[in-house]
Amino acid sequence: MSTQTYKKQDAYASTSGLPDKMAIFQECLQQFNASPVNAKKCRQLLAKLLRLIYYGESFPSQESTTLFFSISKLFQHKDSSLRQLVYLTIKELSSTSDDILMVTSSIMRDIQGGDIIYKPNAIRTLSKVLDSTTVNAAERLFKNAIVDKNPVISSAALISSYNLLPNAKDVVKRFTNETLESIQSHKQFPSNQFQLHEFYGSSTSKLPTTSYMYQYHALGLLYHLRNHDKMALMKLITTLSEGSALKNSLSIIQLIRYINKILLDDESLIIHLYPILAGFLKHKSDMVELEASKTLVSLQHLIKDDQFMSIITTLQKLLGVPRTATRFAAIRLINKISTKHPEKIIVVTAELEELINDANRSISTLAITTLLKTMGAGTIDSGSVGGESVDRLISKMTSLMDEITEDFKIVIIEAIENLALKFPAKHKKLVSFLTDLLRDDGTLPLKTSIVDALFDLIKFLPDAGAKQLILMNLCEFIEDCEFTELSVRILHLLGEEGPHTSNPSYYIRHIYNRLVLENSIVRSSAVISLAKFAAICGGEISKNIQILLSRCLNDIDDEVRDRAALSLKFIGGNHKNLIVNESKYDLSALENKLTHYLNDESNFINKFDISEIPIISNEELKSIEYNRKINRLDSSTTDSADITETIDKSKDNDKSIGDSVSNDLLKQQEYAQELSTIPEFSNYGKLSKSTITPIYLTEKENEFVVTVVKHFFIESKKLVLQYNITNTLPRSVLQDISVIAQPDNELYEEDFIIPINELKPDQNGIVYVSFSTPTIEDGDILVAFGNTVAYTNKDIIDEDGNVDPRDDGWSDEYQIDDLEVSAGDFVTPLYNSNFTALFDQLDNYETSVVTISGTDTLENAVTKLRNSLNLLPLDGSDYVPSDSTSHILKLLGKDVWGGKVVVSARLAVTGGKVVAKLEAKSETETFSSIITGGAY
Amino acid sequence: MGQTFSFANIFSKLWGTTREIRILILGLDGAGKTTVLYRLQLGEVVTTKPTIGFNVETLKYKNLTLNIWDLGGQTSIRPYWRCYYSNTAAIIFVVDSTDKDRIDIACKELHTMLKEEELQDSALLVFANKQDQAGAMTAAEVSQALNLTDLKDRSWSIVASSAIKGEGLTEGLDWLMDVIKDEQL
Repeated sequence: MSTQTYKKQDAYASTSGLPDKMAIFQECLQQFNASPVNAKKCRQLLAKLLRLIYYGESFPSQESTTLFFSISKLFQHKDSSLRQLVYLTIKELSSTSDDILMVTSSIMRDIQGGDIIYKPNAIRTLSKVLDSTTVNAAERLFKNAIVDKNPVISSAALISSYNLLPNAKDVVKRFTNETLESIQSHKQFPSNQFQLHEFYGSSTSKLPTTSYMYQYHALGLLYHLRNHDKMALMKLITTLSEGSALKNSLSIIQLIRYINKILLDDESLIIHLYPILAGFLKHKSDMVELEASKTLVSLQHLIKDDQFMSIITTLQKLLGVPRTATRFAAIRLINKISTKHPEKIIVVTAELEELINDANRSISTLAITTLLKTMGAGTIDSGSVGGESVDRLISKMTSLMDEITEDFKIVIIEAIENLALKFPAKHKKLVSFLTDLLRDDGTLPLKTSIVDALFDLIKFLPDAGAKQLILMNLCEFIEDCEFTELSVRILHLLGEEGPHTSNPSYYIRHIYNRLVLENSIVRSSAVISLAKFAAICGGEISKNIQILLSRCLNDIDDEVRDRAALSLKFIGGNHKNLIVNESKYDLSALENKLTHYLNDESNFINKFDISEIPIISNEELKSIEYNRKINRLDSSTTDSADITETIDKSKDNDKSIGDSVSNDLLKQQEYAQELSTIPEFSNYGKLSKSTITPIYLTEKENEFVVTVVKHFFIESKKLVLQYNITNTLPRSVLQDISVIAQPDNELYEEDFIIPINELKPDQNGIVYVSFSTPTIEDGDILVAFGNTVAYTNKDIIDEDGNVDPRDDGWSDEYQIDDLEVSAGDFVTPLYNSNFTALFDQLDNYETSVVTISGTDTLENAVTKLRNSLNLLPLDGSDYVPSDSTSHILKLLGKDVWGGKVVVSARLAVTGGKVVAKLEAKSETETFSSIITGGAY
Repeated sequence: MGQTFSFANIFSKLWGTTREIRILILGLDGAGKTTVLYRLQLGEVVTTKPTIGFNVETLKYKNLTLNIWDLGGQTSIRPYWRCYYSNTAAIIFVVDSTDKDRIDIACKELHTMLKEEELQDSALLVFANKQDQAGAMTAAEVSQALNLTDLKDRSWSIVASSAIKGEGLTEGLDWLMDVIKDEQL
């Protein structure tokens, strides 16, 4: 009963009180066809009908058509409120009724000479009614409406044109001049606009005379008409940013976003665009200031330090405003800066410390996490002084931790973990903070997040002492842990990590305690954990464990007994590899393959082939996890990534950044599958490596767009270049397309080309070019290809996209960008927590000194080196404090021949250039020289 | 059926002054229907575009309220005419008198339309339009071409007209009003 009453009050969830569909339908037919029409009754009926439609009800097409024709009869009545409702309803019915064009003339008449009240409604409805055959008839109407002095009409026409774009781009393009005129004009609401409405009555004097909203709408339309023409876009931006051409803050924000987009496409424009953005940093609207700051922060690699300071100044000012939303946005931005450049925001420390006590907990949490990061920076720069500030902050936090809710605690825990990962030297304080927190009361999610953090620290902290410390704390925790899930996870981790420590027996004692005291689930995982100690440590420990395990054979739970018996058998029979795994199957690839297998019953004739699934060694798994971790850190800071995505739809990277590594593996699988279906490549054997993201060899707005993917078959010594070609010419068919790739290295020999027969407009296809490659022993494996596309062009002569069969077309060649095979193509990034030891182990030492071209900052040089060598930076060495003049970058990877490659790069800035001394070592002979030679 | 209809008519005579009279203007595309409509309503010639759908106007004529629907004549729109047949007092069929090639099509459309149940009691007025142009057929010729004499049980009339010059329209409408008053009010 109580739930029912509750439901009735919930205005959103309940559909009770919704009128009966068929009753409304019948009444509509009756009233709308009556003569004369009763306007008031019809209005009420239409309102009911609309309510039904807005609730998601729909009518079958027959009813929908009947309904539409009876509504169309209401055009005979002149009542303007009725007409407005008629338009709203027709707009809704337009998607279901085919006969919608019958109202075209009536609507156009209303737009030409109708009442100002329903004109905007008419315009909006017209855009739904028009199709490609009738749109031309409405061109004049739209143009007039766009330049109408009434902003409401102008806005309606602009938005409707925007909606017409997908169907009638050519027609809408002809509105450009009118739209430009509109954006620069000053339009006021007619003084009687509101007086006509009884609601506003006499209070019209207080209403605004204009909102300039039409500028926002016009800007959106203009951008869509011009976004393929960079020059026109630049001109638009410069015209509109002069003086106060744009009066509406939403339109300025939109303009800033367009500036951002254009800059992502072409960074060199920053010189022209920075002054505009900087101008917006001082604006009367805080929204505009925030948007400008946000954009500049995401482009911070393009601007100079003193320019950056002006952003900070703006944000500093915004931190103190009374509006909570603004403060929150400002501190979020500052937090974002802090992940990359904590030293740059030290100036706002005072403001941040005040905000810790902000009434809004989201703001105070962000303030703390930001401060945590700046402290970290302080530690590195100034040793013990920074250490004190960490102490101070931690004590401040400890008192705050009691006051805040668990959600915020979790955020802070993550921040602390990140800090410890970025600055391993400071781990002790932070770990003890975490373990203290672990001992306090808390719910499962909170404890899980702490345990997760500690797990990650164990995996990624290079210091063995730290590992020991955390493991011991975890042991203590499971002594008194009420959550079975956590106990099981910790026991598993102890089994993985414990045997490799200096005092395994310490852990064994704790684990055995579990065997005595806990429930059966914990007991069974303790058994497996012990078995791992026995398998890895061997000797005396193994014997003792066997005694412990044999006691478990009498356990009351059969799972515990089974596991104990099985483990004893494995240990006794020396099948240790069954207890301890050195490698795992790639789970996402496995899942993908299994789904594929299960989806088609015809697959069931053959067994599922597990050997197709790539096996990942523990080492590789760690690099994947590490990458995921670091990427997650970065993804919270770089929103620019998703902006790039929206611009660049051709790059189908809809992957979430966090899973990019496993997605890469999946993509690699896809490529392998695609290539295996082509008979020419059938004897090439296993695909060793593909470059994942296609490389653009043309401008994205070219006549045809070419991207390339490199596939390496190391065993069979082949390189396959996959050229993806898209024909963007609207009126031409391309035939016999091939790519002539000219290598500059004589050891590369072309085998064959698989051309594309034909590409119609907007189609894409693949040209494969296969090469025989030199081996690593030859030493000289780097190459650059000069690429030329050759094709026959034929014009399209009719609407169906056919070409004249007598037309022989003309053949043409088109030179596109060169393609390089660099050292990075032969490696994948790899993770290891102990760089120094690894560097000492390996042989084949090579060294070289290179100048990193095209940059004058260490930060950019680091990114460039990382990308060109395709190696993973270790020990947080990809972080460069902005005021330093030299830096050491530590990189690790695995080459396609299965050997490790380590590179230690010393970078220094001298005379506006970045010079790097590279020291490389590799397991594969001669590869280290390729690495040192291939850096740029 | 006819009985009930006439009953309703007698009843409605009591409210006769407020009743609206529904009139449809039909005909092939380019016959001049929209021009006729606005010549009647505004008394002037408007520039027209091919009607996609319909125009509807209300006009007072001799103390009667006329609700005149001008439906588009393009081939694609003709199938929709029937959606507007119900409660129609009269049909004004406009013919382009100069278009001898398509007079047969006009004839066919006219007779198909008149067979409709809903239009059995409607009066028919044919405008042999565009008399201002050279080579236009006379009203008699148009009448013959449309087989108007075949029509039984229906009040009909044909009037030579020029919507551009405003000739013949009032004569036609006067006749129509008389018929409607006699038969239906």
